[in-house]
Formats: sequence, structure tokens, C-alpha cells
Amino acid sequence: MALFVVFQTTFFLTLLSLRTYQSEVLAERLPLTPVSLKVSTNSIHQSLHLQWTVHNLPYHQELKMVFQIQISRIETSNVVWVGNYSTTVKWNQVLHWSWESELPLECATHFVRIKSVIDDASFPEPNFWSNWSSWEEVSVQDYLGRGTLFVFPKDKLVEEGSNVTICYVSRNIQNNVSCYLEGKQIHGEQLDPHVTAFNLNSVPFIRNRGTNIYCEASQGNVSKGIEGIVLFVSKVLEEPKDFSCESQDFKTLHCTWDPGTDTALGWSKQPSQSYTLFESFSGEKKLCTHKNWCNWQITQDSQEMYNFTLIAENYLRKRSVNILFNLTHRVYLMNPFSVNFENVNATNAIMTWKVHSMRNNFTYLCQIELHGEGKMMQYDVSINVNGEYFLSELEPATEYMARVRCADASHFWKWTEWSGQNFTTLEAAPSEAPDVWRSVNSEPGNHTVTLFWKPLSKLHANGKILFYNVVVENLDKPSRSELRSFPAPANSTKLILDRCSYQICVTANNSVGASPASIIVISADPENKEVEEERIAGTEGGFSLSWKPQPGDVIGYVVDWCDHPQDVLQWKNVGPNTTSTVISTDAFRPGVRYDFRIYGLSTKRIACLLEKKTGYSQELAPSDNPHVLVDMLTSHSFTLSWKDYSTESQPGFIQGYHVYLKSKARQCHPRFQKAVLSDGSECCKYKIDNPEEKALIVDNLKPESFYEFFVTPFTSAGEGPNATFTKVTTPDEHSSMLIRILLPMVFCVLLIMIVCYLKSQWIKETCYPDIPDPYKSSILSLIKFKENPHLTIMNVSDCIPDAIEVVSKPEGTKIQLLGTRKSLTETELTKPNYLYLLPTEKNHSGPGPCICFENFTYNQAASDAGSCGHVPVPPKAPPSMLGLMTSPENVLKALEKNYMNSLGEVPAGETSLNYVSQLASPMSGDKDSLPTNPVEPPHCSEYKMQMAVPLRLALPPPTENSSLSSITLLDPGEHYR
Amino acid sequence: MDLRAGDSWGMLACLCTVLWHLPAVPALNRTGDPGPGPSIQKTYDLTRYLEHQLRSLAGTYLNYLGPPFNEPDFNPPRLGAETLPRATVNLEVWQSLNDKLRLTQNYEAYSHLLCYLRGLNRQAATAELRRSLAHFCTSLQGLLGSIAGVMAALGYPLPQPLPGTEPTWTPGPAHSDFLQKMDDFWLLKELQTWLWRSAKDFNRLKKKMQPPAAAITLHLGAHGF
Repeated sequence: MALFVVFQTTFFLTLLSLRTYQSEVLAERLPLTPVSLKVSTNSIHQSLHLQWTVHNLPYHQELKMVFQIQISRIETSNVVWVGNYSTTVKWNQVLHWSWESELPLECATHFVRIKSVIDDASFPEPNFWSNWSSWEEVSVQDYLGRGTLFVFPKDKLVEEGSNVTICYVSRNIQNNVSCYLEGKQIHGEQLDPHVTAFNLNSVPFIRNRGTNIYCEASQGNVSKGIEGIVLFVSKVLEEPKDFSCESQDFKTLHCTWDPGTDTALGWSKQPSQSYTLFESFSGEKKLCTHKNWCNWQITQDSQEMYNFTLIAENYLRKRSVNILFNLTHRVYLMNPFSVNFENVNATNAIMTWKVHSMRNNFTYLCQIELHGEGKMMQYDVSINVNGEYFLSELEPATEYMARVRCADASHFWKWTEWSGQNFTTLEAAPSEAPDVWRSVNSEPGNHTVTLFWKPLSKLHANGKILFYNVVVENLDKPSRSELRSFPAPANSTKLILDRCSYQICVTANNSVGASPASIIVISADPENKEVEEERIAGTEGGFSLSWKPQPGDVIGYVVDWCDHPQDVLQWKNVGPNTTSTVISTDAFRPGVRYDFRIYGLSTKRIACLLEKKTGYSQELAPSDNPHVLVDMLTSHSFTLSWKDYSTESQPGFIQGYHVYLKSKARQCHPRFQKAVLSDGSECCKYKIDNPEEKALIVDNLKPESFYEFFVTPFTSAGEGPNATFTKVTTPDEHSSMLIRILLPMVFCVLLIMIVCYLKSQWIKETCYPDIPDPYKSSILSLIKFKENPHLTIMNVSDCIPDAIEVVSKPEGTKIQLLGTRKSLTETELTKPNYLYLLPTEKNHSGPGPCICFENFTYNQAASDAGSCGHVPVPPKAPPSMLGLMTSPENVLKALEKNYMNSLGEVPAGETSLNYVSQLASPMSGDKDSLPTNPVEPPHCSEYKMQMAVPLRLALPPPTENSSLSSITLLDPGEHYR
Repeated sequence: MDLRAGDSWGMLACLCTVLWHLPAVPALNRTGDPGPGPSIQKTYDLTRYLEHQLRSLAGTYLNYLGPPFNEPDFNPPRLGAETLPRATVNLEVWQSLNDKLRLTQNYEAYSHLLCYLRGLNRQAATAELRRSLAHFCTSLQGLLGSIAGVMAALGYPLPQPLPGTEPTWTPGPAHSDFLQKMDDFWLLKELQTWLWRSAKDFNRLKKKMQPPAAAITLHLGAHGF
């Protein structure tokens, strides 16, 4: 027994020791060190790919292990990354692991080492890390090839907002390398003498052809090479929005979505994102060819539920959205069709339409919209196949547009598009009486009534108004009424009514019937009520009017006015309980005066004028200034007056006038105030507050002073327009005195002159008669001076000459003769003609008195004759001449010689007129014969009108006889005119 | 007859048309071969037209490439683009070339450039740019035909491409995108220089082939001027 116990104890101890040994052996062999570490590179993805194995793993045993990996850059001590990788390791398994470097692998040598530890529950603690594997060096620079400058990474594709590290490798450290991003130089971190890295944070999307980054190597100013990369920055792929699917026919599902931004890049670097539809119940997938829609064929009628996933994908990212739906809840019907209207009348119609049939017992919900007269009505109706709806309460003669859309009534998903049609209801009789008003002009014996009416609104016309009927009924003689018809669009008529009361009914008529009548009564009494006009102030919005209510019953009030400038009568009806209204219309113009008349309408429909109002919607400043007259100008005052200025026709109520006065004096006159004009000049101003006061006496002025004045009216809106000042100069003080003296003197002189003119004949005869009085002649004094007692003055009345001879006096005659006339020219004066009074007696040797005077009346004829007639002058003096010559030499002694010389010098052809005196000579009957038998001269000689005788006619052939003085007057009518 | 303003314009246009076509009327032309003169003139005109067209195209395309290629002072050393025919040549060398050599060089250069240009067209992303490039390629093809015509008129044989040396556009990762852009830049630049050089060449040839003055007088006389 003891032996058994010992044996048993020994066995257990042995077993225990064996177990202990086994554990110790395993512990000695572990940790399992990674071996055969190999590192490869992928330049495109900038990744290191590691692969290794774990030796000493028990056969067919799996152990969970943790591998710690350390990566250094440039040198082993520069560890840039340490990390653990946990995995289950099998016997003889090759392990793989990748690491992506942010720095392009070409830019630096990388070193990798690895160690491991068992992390398996079957192995109790403690576990120990294995030793590090040896460093594995990875360098890509050796494979760069020829060249001195390289930039990495080549043509990298990144998403917008990424951080990118680029670097260059310059094999010649003598070169100075500058790098540029989109033309701007960038600065980086030098990793070693050959390599510099640049960190670009959050790179933006610039263009789909890529962002150009280049480095240029140079020595001095000499470029040694240029190298670059294109960094393709893609926009971030967005999740598709508004993804939905629906069916119109239960055969095809039409799926749509909003794709968002297109992420395509140039140079085929990245195409547009692709879209794929995946249905999870059926497990089918479809690559969509369009970027925003895709059609899915429904193959199984039994499938009602669909779970779609839309996957958007590009080289960098994948996005997806999901929808789950029941097919019957996604029914988008086809549009309704055959929309029609039946039984259309004035107020209702039946609308019909059809829908495309989907399935049996399918119920449609349809919505109807009715548009007309600016209003919209909406109705919902549920139908099966054919739709019908009764449209009521329509307006007559109105065009409507009705449209319908439908949806699945069971599971509303979406309305169809609208399907619509227009229709027009029929006409009906006008529903309202036209609005009528009148203006009455009372004249003796009759009224002229102008009737106005407004066209009915479309709402009340119920169709096209064709004509208006006006029935005029004499209320005093009810049997007499008259119907007049006016075709539309007439809106007024003029009626001449006698002094009776009349009722006027106006109706509007369309093709269906007449409107209710509008009644107005014209009373027999004329509207002669005097109503005072009240001024009101309007605003831009209109005029606010109020009035006292009319005593007694009224059915309403009417306010009428005239629109300017059209002068169209306008009116507004106001209810009986209202005594104020606002007249507002766009027709009101600023600066125009509007006159409002307010009438009350009695129950008998007679209008009675209650009040008158006048005002402006907006008063304006006066448009013109008055024409000012200056009166009573004295040295100290003058009066300004503008009586012609009309205050009524102004664009505002004239409130008064401003009189501006300028003078050299700095002080203003009393009553004037200083004012500054718009041009900055100073003047004196006087304000007249009464618009009817249109004169002003400006006094206290200085004589001989210069003043300027300007008168302008003003309204509440301001003064009239600027105008030039009128200049006035006050006169001298003495000048008025002079005028007081001079004016009467001038008047007197003028009076005398007028009197003289009127009495000129008398004065002439008195002062300087044509035939001078010998008694008053100076010759008389001469004669008296000679004291010849035999000489007497013959009275003109004593001498009866019967012939006058006119003889041209040759030039050079110096004798001054009497009776010169101003009308003669000097040349004529040098050839005076003389009239000789020839004695009729043969014996005229006696001292018969004879008067010689010049008669210029004939000078013209004489001068004329000088050119056309040869008047023979006898070489010897004619008897008359002789007689004259033989006249007492003591009378005309001084003249004689001249006369003789003159005669002797008269050449042949000199003018000579022989005249026959027209003095009354009853005794001389034979004019042809020489007056050989002179009659006894009467006591008085009358000098009568003398007549010129043309020589051509009057003169006989130049015979000796004809040379005598007596010549027959052939044509008495040829006298001098 | 009622002559209005429109009629007179029509008559003027008719007269111009007649004058324009006068040299084309065989009866009025010199009898015999007109020689290479007209075709040299046409080639010269086409070269100038292409120069003008390229100015617009290059602006658009370089903008498409982005900076620095569209910057006016970007003048990189030509390190890549080795396969492009160089237009720059030493002046003395150029002057020493005879007509045949010049024409041959022109023909060969445009053959190559046209091929590369078509490759450019394939890369262009925008439709408008593709249209412009296609139009330019057509014009350049016309210039190539004109040069061939001039060479034929002068009796020079067309250069035969050596088998295997036909330039082809090969897309692929051989070039980085930046170098590809650089090649495009150099292609446009070389085209510009070649067109300038060709204009000089054809102008020189034109002057050389011009008939003497007496012949011109006789020619004009035959036209009845």
C-alpha cells in the first residue's frame, strides 16, 4: 500500500515536472519572430507593401498575434510611423500589410522593421514581444532614370480639400530650384540636400484639367530644366438627392434623382461619376446610362415591395441612397384627356374628361380648377374611368378655362399634369340699371338736359351691350312719352324739354334683353338756386367732401365735377345716410381747379343742388406774372397797377402779390421789407394780401432816381416765375413845372395855327392878295416921290383889258417881279413870262394906265413850247408892245431898256404865248379880227381864269397878221389844270 | 429703263465679278502653262491665313492648359518634345538651302505637325476647342496639299516617309500629364515658328519665280487693259 502511494506520488510528481518542462520549452521558443520581411512599393498609390512569415509556429495551429511595424524615413532613427497589426497566423502563412505614405516614395528612402507578440488566450500570460526584425530599406530614387530634376507625385488624383505633399528631387545640388503652384512660388521643407517637400493643405478645385505645379532648376539666370506635375483635384462626390421611383403603367419604374456636381476631370483622369441601381429583393443590378434617371423593368407581377439602392461612384468615393416602397403607392397616372364641355348656358356647364385605365376597380381622385374673371375655383371629384362635373354659378357671357388633373385615390402619390380647355357661357339680360346723371341748362321756355350714363361693368352687362333706350315721359301730361334708342357705345344724349316735369328712364340692352331702368326726374322749376362756392383743399389722393344733409327724405346724393382737360362730366353716387365722401381719381392733375357740385336726390328722384366746392388737388405756384403798368410817375412816386391780371385762371388760389423794389438806397421804404432774391441780390419787398388789390402806390421816392420793380403773385405753393425787373426813373422836380407852362403854350400855338389855317383865305386876301392893290404898292410912293401930278393910279376896275399877251422873257432878266411862287424852279424863274395888258384902243399913245405883272401859271406851257413851236416874234414890236413901250417912260424907265433888250434878244423859236383875256368883253364879237375897234373900257376890270392855248393849235400860220396879239381860243376845255 | 440704286449696285457687283474672273478666262490668259507662280502665291496666302488662325487657337488652347502655359513670358527650355520637327535653324544654314530642300523640309514638318495636332484634338475636353482644332487641322491639310502642288509644279518629288518612322500619337502613361501639356505647348510654338518660316520661304520663292517686267507688260496687253 505504501509502495502504491509512493508510486502514485512519484507519478504525479513526474507528470507535474513534465508539464512544467513542456511549458518551459514553449516559453523558450516564444515569442515568434517575423522573418522573411520583404517590402515592395506602389508609386501610384504611394504605398509600401510588406510581406513576411512567422517561423516556429506549431503545425496546424492558429495563433492570434500582434505585429508592431515601425517605419523610418531617410534614416532608421527617423521613425515616422509605428503601428500594430493584429491577425490570426497559421502555420507557414505569408502575411501582407500595406502602408500609404503621405510623402511620395520617390522622395525619400524608407526603412521598415517588424516585431510580434502572441495575443492568444490559449497562452497564459505573460507574453513577450519578439525581437525586431532587421531594418528593410526601400529606395525608389535609384530607378528614376536620367535627369537632374524630378517632381512627385506624378499626376495624382485627390479630392477637393485633401492635404497633399509634393516633393522634388534635384540631383545637382548646384542648381537653384524654385517651385510654382498656379504661377505662384511655393516654399517647402528640405528633407535632405537633394529633396524638398511641400505640404499643400486643403487643395482647392481649380479646373478639371488639373492644377499645374512645376519646379525650375537654374544656375544664376540660366534655366537648367523644368519639371512639373499636374495635380488633379476632383470635386467631392455628392450623395444623389431626391431619389424616387414611380410607375405610370405597372410595367416600368422610372427612377429619378438629382446628381449634384459632375466630378469628371480632363485628360481622362476621371470620368463622370457612374450610377448603379440595385434592388435588394430581387438582387438585380442595373448600370444607369443617364446621370439623373434610370428605367427599371418590372418583371414579376407579384412583387409589390421594392428596395432600391442608388450608388454613385467615381475613382475616389462611393455614395449611395436607399428607398423602400410599395409599387402601388408610387403610381403616377398619365394625363387626363378628352376634356369637353356640354350643355353650356349662361350660368352653368357640364365638364367631362377621361383617364387612362390602370387596373380594374381603380379609383381616381381628380381635381378641377375653373379660372374666369380673375378668380379661381377648385373642386375635387372621385371617378372611375370617365369624369364628369357640373359647373354651376357661372357668370354669363364669360370665358372660362377649366382644367383637370388626377391621382390615385387609394394611395395618393402625385398629381398628373393639368389637361384643360376653354369655354364661354352664354349671354343673359343685363342685371343692373345703368348709372345715369344729367346736367340741366335752363333757358327761357325750355330746359336743355344732357343725359350721361356709364357703361355697365362686365359683371352686370352679362354680354355685349348693343344699345341704350331712353324713355322720356312728360309727368304733367302722362299720355305723352317718347322712346329714343342709342347704339352702344353711346354714353350721353342731349334733350330739349319744355317747362314741364319729365321722367327719364334709361335701360341698357344686349342680345338677350334689357336691364332694369334707371330713372331720373327733371322738375319743371329751373335750377336757379344760388349756392355759395366754398374753397376746399385737395390732396394727391383726391378731394374730401362733406356737406350738410338735405332736409327731408333723400334717396341719395350725387357729387359731380368735370375732368380736365377732357371736360367730361363725372359723378359719384353717395348713399342717403352719408354726408361726406372722398373723390379720388387718377385724372386729377396738379394745378387744375375742380368744381364740385353736390346734389341731393329726393324720393321723387329730383336732384337739388346743395353745395358747391372748388379746389385744387395740388396747388402750384402761379404760372405767369401780371403785366404791370406804371402810372402817375412823379418825381416822388409812381403807381403800379395790374388790373388785367386774372386770379381765377391760375394753378392755385392767388393769395396776394409780392412787389419787389430795387433802388440804390440801402434802406427800404416804409412798408417794404428787405428780401434776398434767388440770385442772392438784395431788394425790398412789399406783400399785398388781398388778391383783388391790383395796384400799389410806391411813394417817398427821390427825384431823378433809378428804380426797378417786379410784381409776382403767390399761392400757397409759392410765387410766380422769376422775371426781369422793370426799370423806372423818377423825373426831375422842375420838369413837371416846365411841362405845366410849356403844354399850355404849345396848345395855344397850335390853336392859332389851326385858326390861321382855317382862315387862310381871309388872311391871304387881307394880307397878301393875288392881285396887289396898287394903292398899297411901293410904286405909288415912287410916283408920288417924282411928284408927277399927271400920273394917277388906275383902278383895276377901271381897266378892261381884252387881251393878254405872254412873252417869254429871255434869260438874264434881272427884274424882280411880283408874285413869285415857290413851286417854280430857278430855271423857270430865269424865263419869266409876262402878261401884258393890251389896250384895245388903237390909239394908245396916251398915258393910259397899264399894269404889268408876272403870271407864272403859264410858265410851264411856255417852256414846253420852247421846244416844239416857233412862235414868230415880229422884228418890230407889236402894237401892244409898242404901246407899252411908249407908255410913259417915267413910269417904267428902269424897265424899258431891259424890255427892249429882251425883246431884241428873243431868238426865233423862243417861247411866246399869246393869250386872250377872258375878261368879260361883250363888245368884242369878232375874236379873229384884231381889236381895231376897242370898246369903251368899263370901269372895272375883272380878272378871270386864264386859259392856256396850245401853240400848235392856237397859233395861225406865221403871217404878219397873226403876229398880232389877239388869238382865238379854240378849245375852252384845254385850260390849265 | 428705270435704274435704281439697287440696280447700280448690282451692276457694280457684276463688273467686279467680271474683273475678278477675267484672269480665269482662258482666252484672255497666256497660252500655255501658267507656271508655279499662282500656286506659290496661293500657298503663301494660305500660310498667312494659318498664322492668323493659329494665333486665336493657341490662345484658347493654352488657356485650357492653364498656367504657366498661358502666361505670356513662359519660355521654358525645350527639354522634352524631341520628336517635334524644329523650325529654328541657323540663318546661314537656312540661306544655303536650295528650293527643293526648303520645300521638302516644309512638307515633312507639316506632315509631322499635322499628326501631332490630331492627337491634340483627341485630348481636348470641350466641344468648342475640338471644333477649332478640327478646323485648323483641315486648313493645315490644305497647306500640305498646296506645298505638294508647288513641288510638283517645280518638278520636285515628294519626300517618301521611311517605313516605321510614321509619327503616331500614342496615348499612355509614357508621358506624365505635365510633360504632355509641355509637348502641346511646344507643338503650338513650333507650328507658329514653322508658319512664320514658311511664309518667308514662299515669299522668297514667289519673288524668285516672278516673270520679268516685260513679260508682265505683254501679259497685261493681252488682257486688253
